[in-house]
Amino acid sequence: MGTPCHFALFELQPSFRLDLDQLAARYRELARSVHPDRFADATEREQRLALEHSASLNEAYQTLKSAPKRARYLLALRGHELPLEVTVQDPEFLMQQMQWREELEELQDSVDLAGVATFKRRLKVAQEELNDSFAACWDVTARHEEAERLVRRMQFLDKLSYEVRQLEERLDD
Amino acid sequence: MAYSEKVIDHYENPRNVGKMDAEDPDVGTGMVGAPACGDVMRLQIKVNDQGVIEDAKFKTYGCGSAIASSSLATEWMKGKTLDEAETIKNTQLAEELALPPVKIHCSVLAEDAIKAAVRDYKQKKGLL
Repeated sequence: MGTPCHFALFELQPSFRLDLDQLAARYRELARSVHPDRFADATEREQRLALEHSASLNEAYQTLKSAPKRARYLLALRGHELPLEVTVQDPEFLMQQMQWREELEELQDSVDLAGVATFKRRLKVAQEELNDSFAACWDVTARHEEAERLVRRMQFLDKLSYEVRQLEERLDD
Repeated sequence: MAYSEKVIDHYENPRNVGKMDAEDPDVGTGMVGAPACGDVMRLQIKVNDQGVIEDAKFKTYGCGSAIASSSLATEWMKGKTLDEAETIKNTQLAEELALPPVKIHCSVLAEDAIKAAVRDYKQKKGLL
């Protein structure tokens, strides 16, 4: 990799477990130090470098703060790019996903705000379980396939939590 | 992105939405998902003694193209034999729906769902 790794930009070791508040604080600090305003009197080259640095910092932050993106990035660092444009056949998990989406649809139809809150908590628990499992196996070569399956599952839960947020916004109106 | 009229038609009036009893020995169920967009698709077929698909149902949580692809797939499968159904290609679905290149993977998902449903049925009947 020609550019420093996303973790190195934040002076972190590659790890799945991250303190997101700390990451956000560090991001704000670093972003300030390369803000264009600080380079108003600098040379054109310095300005350009600051801009490039600011862009890679932003990209690194967007990747690291999202659990599925961070997980995929870690696998990529280990030399395993995970293609997402492939069909998943993980019947039991997909069956449950289908059920959850049906439940969410019913919550929408019945405008059940308390139900949505409960649903959200359950989803959060499931996401944390996935995160724990991934943290325990991503750097173990023998458990590589398991790590990949977990990342794919994370993708679906990530989409589902996005749908929940959208539903909340609609019900709030 | 603009959807084609056919996609909008299938999206607004999806054919064959529903659920069959997955435990029914004459029913084959295909469950597939696309991790990139988090879409989930269930496609089911009911097959008669002659090996002809009598009915097909689907349920898709995903974008308009994914819904349209699975809706069209169920339409095409009805009345076909299992072998004929298995020859349905994603490119045919994509062409019929005029899917743009970025949405081709939605038709791939539908093709994979067809194959998964047929395989599930064959497994139940001990044909594999």
